[in-house]
Amino acid sequence: MRRVEYYFRETASGIRRNGTIAFGAVMTAFIALFLFGLALLIRREVDLVIENITGNVQIAVYLDDTIKPETISQLQETIKALPAVATVDYEDQQAACDRAKALFAGRPEIIENVSCSTFPTSLRVNLKDTSQFGQVTSALGCQQSEGAKLDCTSPGVLEMWDYRSFLDRLNAIATFLSVGLFALAVIMLVSAVVLVANTLRMGMFARRKEISIMRLVGATNWRIRVPFLIEGGAEALFGAGLAIVFLFLGKVFLVDQLASQLLWLPLVRNSDVLGVLPWIIIAAVAVAGVAGTVGMRRYLDV
Amino acid sequence: MISLQHVTKTYKNDVTALDDVSIEIEKGEFVFLVGPSGSGKSSSLRLLLREEDPSSGEVFVAGKNLAKLSTWSGVPKLRRNLGTVFQDFKLLQDKTVFENVSFALEVIGKPKHVIDQRVPEILEYVGLGAKLNNYPDELSGGEQQRVSIARACVNRPLVLLADEPTGNLDPNTSVDIMRLLDKVNKIGTTVVMATHDQAIVDAMRKRVIELDNGKVVRDQSRGVYS
Repeated sequence: MRRVEYYFRETASGIRRNGTIAFGAVMTAFIALFLFGLALLIRREVDLVIENITGNVQIAVYLDDTIKPETISQLQETIKALPAVATVDYEDQQAACDRAKALFAGRPEIIENVSCSTFPTSLRVNLKDTSQFGQVTSALGCQQSEGAKLDCTSPGVLEMWDYRSFLDRLNAIATFLSVGLFALAVIMLVSAVVLVANTLRMGMFARRKEISIMRLVGATNWRIRVPFLIEGGAEALFGAGLAIVFLFLGKVFLVDQLASQLLWLPLVRNSDVLGVLPWIIIAAVAVAGVAGTVGMRRYLDV
Repeated sequence: MISLQHVTKTYKNDVTALDDVSIEIEKGEFVFLVGPSGSGKSSSLRLLLREEDPSSGEVFVAGKNLAKLSTWSGVPKLRRNLGTVFQDFKLLQDKTVFENVSFALEVIGKPKHVIDQRVPEILEYVGLGAKLNNYPDELSGGEQQRVSIARACVNRPLVLLADEPTGNLDPNTSVDIMRLLDKVNKIGTTVVMATHDQAIVDAMRKRVIELDNGKVVRDQSRGVYS
């Protein structure tokens, strides 16, 4: 207990001693972790959009409401038998309805007035080899009608949607955005490491006399280092705390405002923001750990 | 208690601080290390503290071969058995007398009740029982050196290493400090003191080891400075 008290007293006095530099380190950590979290959330948003529009499949074959069960299984067999096809799943009205409800769980106003009987049933197809799309179209007698929509002659089949190019494009945009943000975040994280390491060094320099006496009377390396490690950790975690607060503020004041205008889009929910928190905290701990290792290397050996 | 066996210490710039030095010091002895500046006195003390490693030869303190101590636990343990006193006192100016001494116990994890008992006790012992709450700049040089001796002794070390402890003090004060070191020695602490102070060495009549140019040129019990 006394030891814990000692560590925190030392840490607090360290942060007080070089306040402005500690502030700079906290701010850099904050921006770095904010960008990092933002990149994760954008990725999450794009995933939600993809799921909403395509249901995570490359091809959706929508079926006539009056189709007979044996026709469904027959169609399923036919598609399944094609060498290019990886999976074929049948989704009935209830399943389609449930999926939509889950997707728009954060925005009940969109979904609550919709009856499940209006959802189409479909066969949802993923390909092993997307370039062999033609196998599916010819098997079902489909021809391109407009854009990604295809009209089909096979009995019971209403229409087919080809999501391949949409998926590719959306993924490309998402990758571009999140890679860009990640790169920015990494640069900022490195700056944060340097700044936190620097505050540790300043602290060690300011306390070099204490440190030399500690060594002389037989304090262990850990005894000498831990206050500095806690100081670095406190700075990084404080930055993480700010990043988390600002991500939530952004969610509430930007995303939730957009929601009224973008009715057709599922948007990130509070739980998605909550989901990136552990990653932000892990990144903060990593920043502190690297800063501690770099900052204290060859400085504090007994 | 202390044993240097054929110790040579050469620094990077080819300066030889110690040249094949062998010294044995028994438990409870009081030993002066004398010799001109650069003769190797301070290097010997640094080797004993394991602030440096010898270029060749071996150093033993309290039966332990210093080369075999680990930095993470062996070296700190060694230093808990060695008290150190310096010419410039090395006191922390923003801490009181009590805090300067308790710092030494605090940073090695001693519990509060031990600190509260031992610190006033040792400060009483060195004659500063009335100045617990003063800051170092409110004390005379002799008093500051007493604080540093109290700090060195509060953890009851086996050996007290003193590097020119009277170097900054006037002759009368120096005599007081020597009385105190003698008192510490009388309770069983081995004392090794590097010094230039001829009057003190001559007055004390203790064992004298003289170094010159990194070699032991004289080792005399009940000796004088030269």
